[in-house]
Amino acid sequence: MICGFQKRIAAFLVIGVALTTVSSAAAQVRAGLPRTADGRPDLQGIWQVRNRSAYDLEDHAARHGMPAGRSVVEGGTIPYQPWAAAKKLDNFANRATADPLAECYMPGVPRIMYMEFPFQIFQTRDHVAILFEWQQIYRLIYTNGSRPPEGIPFWMGDSRGRWEGDSLIVDVTNHNDRTWLDMAGNFHSDALRVTERYTMVDADTLDYEATIEDAKVFTRPWKIRIPLHRQKDMARVLEYQCRAELEEARGDFEPEPRTWYRQAPSAAAGGQEVPRESQAPPVTIAQPAAAVRPGSGQALRPGSGQARVPNLNGFYQADAGGANWGFEPHNEPFTPGGRGVLVDLPTLPYQPWAVEEKRTRNLPERGYDDPTAHCFVGGVPRAIYVPSPFHILQTPTHVVILHERMSWRIIPLGSHAPLPDTIRLWMGDSVGRWDGDRLVVETRNLNGKAWLNEVGDVISYAATIVERFTPTESNTMRYEATVTDPVVYTRSWTIAMPLRRDPKGELLEVACLEDNQDLQHLKEIRDAARARGAASGGR
Amino acid sequence: MTVRRRMGARVQGWSGAIVRSVFGLAMLMVVDLPARAHHSFSAEFDINKPIKLTGTITEVRWSNPHSWIYIDVKDDSGKVVNWAFEMQPANALYRRGWRPADVAAGTVVTVEGWASRSGSPTANTNTVMLSDGRRLFAGAPPAEGGAR
Repeated sequence: MICGFQKRIAAFLVIGVALTTVSSAAAQVRAGLPRTADGRPDLQGIWQVRNRSAYDLEDHAARHGMPAGRSVVEGGTIPYQPWAAAKKLDNFANRATADPLAECYMPGVPRIMYMEFPFQIFQTRDHVAILFEWQQIYRLIYTNGSRPPEGIPFWMGDSRGRWEGDSLIVDVTNHNDRTWLDMAGNFHSDALRVTERYTMVDADTLDYEATIEDAKVFTRPWKIRIPLHRQKDMARVLEYQCRAELEEARGDFEPEPRTWYRQAPSAAAGGQEVPRESQAPPVTIAQPAAAVRPGSGQALRPGSGQARVPNLNGFYQADAGGANWGFEPHNEPFTPGGRGVLVDLPTLPYQPWAVEEKRTRNLPERGYDDPTAHCFVGGVPRAIYVPSPFHILQTPTHVVILHERMSWRIIPLGSHAPLPDTIRLWMGDSVGRWDGDRLVVETRNLNGKAWLNEVGDVISYAATIVERFTPTESNTMRYEATVTDPVVYTRSWTIAMPLRRDPKGELLEVACLEDNQDLQHLKEIRDAARARGAASGGR
Repeated sequence: MTVRRRMGARVQGWSGAIVRSVFGLAMLMVVDLPARAHHSFSAEFDINKPIKLTGTITEVRWSNPHSWIYIDVKDDSGKVVNWAFEMQPANALYRRGWRPADVAAGTVVTVEGWASRSGSPTANTNTVMLSDGRRLFAGAPPAEGGAR
């Protein structure tokens, strides 16, 4: 008895010492880590998983399309309740179609963190933003002590973080029950709670630990641990617009030869009418690469001398003047209240072919062709003036825009290695610079797939867009965008509108394609029109 | 302006100080326009086909870029048709304080809107009224003194 008792005491002591060691290690401040100005580990950079967790969190043998991998689950296996273990097997059997990723739906948390796609972290005092290459989704982690909204489920959950020593702890709540944990069909319910712990082991290794609790599905909380590695051989995160690529491949989103960039401009089929030489000449932005720290105050206008550039951080909504339903003044029954946003012209200066293109885009059967009806990203500048807010994060080296309609822009300040002509993006390739208090952003390499608004104003791959964000009052900026697109327009034109910052505003998630019921309806309208056209001898 | 006229008519039917206090806020926030946010409204719905139907809520789908309310409507022959009405995005409703628990299936409502061009039992609405004339999804939610 005594012997057993002593053993127990000894065991308690050992556990106690171990716990003390662990907790002091967590709180301990590691040397040799990159740090932000406020002393936190600087998590910024491009990261990616190297192991096989994306396929299956548990030990798994290889199958076609699924390389073998070891378990990252503490204890080896996921503690499912019996009914849930059966459902997991069912998910596995049907994974080719049942996996939400088969439709490019948002992967949820933690799954997005260990998919085989890079992500880039940006960090300010109040936020840590994670921007994923995959489908251009992001997570905005609040580290300002705020609380999640009640009663709203999200695909990506709600993330509120805090620092414990050198570890970032993130409570991820408000999950829906539609995401999976990996390709093998491991799953959860809407009772899911995820507690993440991000700990930098060294400058290039991030220890990712997630505790998963879900009383509806599991018998107890369980933990995964996955190293993330700095992607040193990748200078930037590009776009992988999974859904747009899927619909193009399926033939559900059809090319527009006059506005889309085509890899081989000399290709005989179709004929790109305007020669590439007519593109605007490259504009050189000369600016020293030196990083500029944003002002410490919250005001958009710089403070009394100490802040060198305005602090743009925050939640914004454009006072858009109905730009998403037309740039000219308009007041039609279904597009009311447009005050007109063109600055220097009464109407858009279209080339003749584009006048006709815009007219047909307004026919009911072409409502289907608007990329935003498919829930693809809005592009530049449209993402600013769609009726959804956005959040700006500003670091010394970047301005990042997170759009509520799930897309992001990373705008490097000053130095920038432009993309080659052949790499075209929905959101383009942007570079910014400070011109006094004004942020000037130039964007090129657009793919020409976006529309400018719902009434079908046209923009092409040849466009160069110069945006100016000019602070005017404490929480207001004047936004201007000058579009030069010789394929579509006879001259440059400019739109302008105020952007209003709401210090209390927070982004909600727009799960657009995940819940899009309009598209099938618009397709029926288009198909009926095509059938009528075919019946009457034309198309 | 249409917005103000409709809001005024609605508020006359209400009573209570809370309602009056939220009125100003509601005036700022209610967008009493067709719920078109990510696709061409006129491509999908027909301004020349206004409709007004009374039925029982079978489901409210809180989603973006549009929420949907489904109601069972009995036609003249007694046949029940489930109509889908497109509404504002869930995020617009959330930001006004509305939550899914505020609206129950089985509630009888009258919905006004514009019918689909396709001829299917689909329409767009921004006016969902209870039998006493109060409006769902407009202005402040019940927890803040609005309609339940």
